[in-house]
Amino acid sequence: MTDSPSDTETTESTLDAYAADFASAVGAESWSTDFDTIHVYITPDQWVEAATYARDEAGLGFFSWLSAVDWAKEVEVGEPVDDVENLEERFEVLCCLSSPVDASAVILSTSLGKDHPSLDTLVPVYSGAAWHERETAEMFGIDFPGHPNLIKLYLPQEFEGHPLRKSFALGARIAKPWPGTVDVEELPSTENVEAGEGSE
Amino acid sequence: MGVIEKFGTPKPVSWLLNWSRKYSLWMFNFGLACCAIEMMAAAAPRFDMMRFGIIPFPASPRQADLMVVAGTVTDKMAPAVKRLYDQMPDPKYVISMGSCANCGGPYWDSYSVTKGVDQVVPVDVYVPGCPPRPEALMEGIVLLQEKIINEDPQQKWTERDRQPV
Amino acid sequence: MTQLDSRGIVEISDGGVSVELRGETMNLNIGPQHPSTHGVLRLIAEVDGERISKLEPAIGYMHRGKEKLSEVRTYPQITALINRIDWISGFANEVAFIRAIENLMGIEPTPRAQMIRLILTELTRISNHLIFASSYPLELGAATPLMYAMREREHIMDVIESVTGGRFHPNFNRVGGVKPAAGGGKTQKKVTLDLPAGFYAAVENAMDRAEYSCQEFEELVTGNEMIQVRTKDVGVLSYEDAISFGVSGPNARASGVEFDLRKQETGLLPYDDLDFDMVVTYNGDSYDRYLVRMQEIRESIKIVRQAIDSVPSGPLQAKVPRVLKVPAGTTYVRAENPKGEMGYYIVSQGGRIPYRLKIRSASFSNISILSKIAVGQLIPDLVATMGSLDFVLGDVDR
Repeated sequence: MTDSPSDTETTESTLDAYAADFASAVGAESWSTDFDTIHVYITPDQWVEAATYARDEAGLGFFSWLSAVDWAKEVEVGEPVDDVENLEERFEVLCCLSSPVDASAVILSTSLGKDHPSLDTLVPVYSGAAWHERETAEMFGIDFPGHPNLIKLYLPQEFEGHPLRKSFALGARIAKPWPGTVDVEELPSTENVEAGEGSE
Repeated sequence: MGVIEKFGTPKPVSWLLNWSRKYSLWMFNFGLACCAIEMMAAAAPRFDMMRFGIIPFPASPRQADLMVVAGTVTDKMAPAVKRLYDQMPDPKYVISMGSCANCGGPYWDSYSVTKGVDQVVPVDVYVPGCPPRPEALMEGIVLLQEKIINEDPQQKWTERDRQPV
Repeated sequence: MTQLDSRGIVEISDGGVSVELRGETMNLNIGPQHPSTHGVLRLIAEVDGERISKLEPAIGYMHRGKEKLSEVRTYPQITALINRIDWISGFANEVAFIRAIENLMGIEPTPRAQMIRLILTELTRISNHLIFASSYPLELGAATPLMYAMREREHIMDVIESVTGGRFHPNFNRVGGVKPAAGGGKTQKKVTLDLPAGFYAAVENAMDRAEYSCQEFEELVTGNEMIQVRTKDVGVLSYEDAISFGVSGPNARASGVEFDLRKQETGLLPYDDLDFDMVVTYNGDSYDRYLVRMQEIRESIKIVRQAIDSVPSGPLQAKVPRVLKVPAGTTYVRAENPKGEMGYYIVSQGGRIPYRLKIRSASFSNISILSKIAVGQLIPDLVATMGSLDFVLGDVDR
């Protein structure tokens, strides 16, 4: 990571070229390489096709993970989204595929509506998707038609709700607010300071 | 059979009974999470808790006198904890090891963690720490042994139906 | 003609008529509390006699909801949870997470801190593999190796404790560097914020002990005929299955997947400057998985010995803002945990807490393979297979 500026540019342009190639091959809407992470944005009906392409043509045979992000205007937990007005409420499903020989990795991203979200299963393409999809179904309430065994993975079968949705509140926090906020002392300033100033 | 429950024991007999129980605790290691590794370390050469008359790793709870709940108890696991506790023969003791088993610890606000194993089974000794060092577990065991030596067998024998708080 | 099909069921074909001899199957429940499981894994097996015809691991007994809890905690608070995912190798978990934050904030950690991170990661790897070396023979019925491995592990624990203050939950990484090791805080005028005195000698000593322990294990376990009979050709995992299921780490490398993020993902930690080999074998059985780990201990010892000779001088921490606000952005950073690929996908909205944190843990994918490779095995072989995958339930359930 101690690259000279020219090196960094080369790395970035290689990454960009790779992402652009991949995106045009699967017919993606757009792509990004921010923070050295390749995101390829596709529509839900391109999902299985893109994954098949990644496995067979692009050499990304290693199934890394599959999960989702709940983009919501109102949140029960955590900090809300910065730009609430322009936010489109949706579930973003992510699937990270990587290569078993080199460092290349692509994150496929697609958006699903909030009502009855459903996405075709990847189990026929990557066997490892089975558990990841079960987890996502349980945590976000996203349906994966075609999945062989879409039952709850972590929680008891009678558990109600989808914990990772932003609308799912943490009961313990409502009953007793986090004590840490009261005993945090006033911070002197927020500008850059040398950490561990005692050493000077 | 039933003699102790009915008539109790004279002091020297109580002492003898307690003294012999104190140094022959079979420990059922309920290793759940991080603390289980420290419990393993406590049983391993450097710390060697057999010195205290603790015999670790029985094959089944039915042979055990002491259950050490080491780690996070989740709501899904709680029925199994209760069931294994019920399988242990009386008189039996429970050590709750680590913050998670004591009160939920770092997962105090989680949707799936039981906030303390004492909601499920009665606990005799709580060992704080996240995770407690093997020395801390051994101190917990010594405290439990102190508790055992001062016990009245009649009382212990008859309270077996006690319910968790 | 008598032949065994893939599930080990005897088929007798007589004059073109195939008669399948199949007993009544029975469901066998193993766990969640079972002496031979690492933590609370439950296996629901459908057995035909002694053979497994179907196996379904039931997980979730250690599900603590870390991803949800991360949404209400600040980044430094999350590090404490991250430690406890794979509790045997706490330090190795932290590195990728901190690197992800540094990536988003555009902070470059100091070279000295990077090298210290590398040394501690490798020490953690040795400690993790020693735990494996102690528990795996135990599962196969040999209790003595446990005592040997745990004894040597204590020396490594001592080193980690002397630097970080914690035995296996160090919580030692800070954004931009590592925690100043010996602290006097504000009470002392002059504090030396650096590695404790005698650190290098202690590491040398621990490495010598670990190497001795490797040798001992080779004599005691590796060449042991009983261990070989129990593990060779048991639980064979093919290359295709390994990558399709996302199996990573030593488990994948035992199946011929030539992938080690220490080699491939350069720039995370300064592994480039060090000379070590990626350990790969091609049989994919339980014995190979054991061999890969034992050889990795030797490689890690090699790495640590080189690293302590080349720790650069300089500060332990780069300049960072007092209040940790991570700029808006999304990144995925992965690192080679002792168990495999450990990655963090952070969605930041520019605040002190993440909007979403996805934890990609190695063991989760590694044990999903069990339902595939255990079919057709005998029940005792199931234990040999399961143990060789070296998983930790905290890493599975999170």
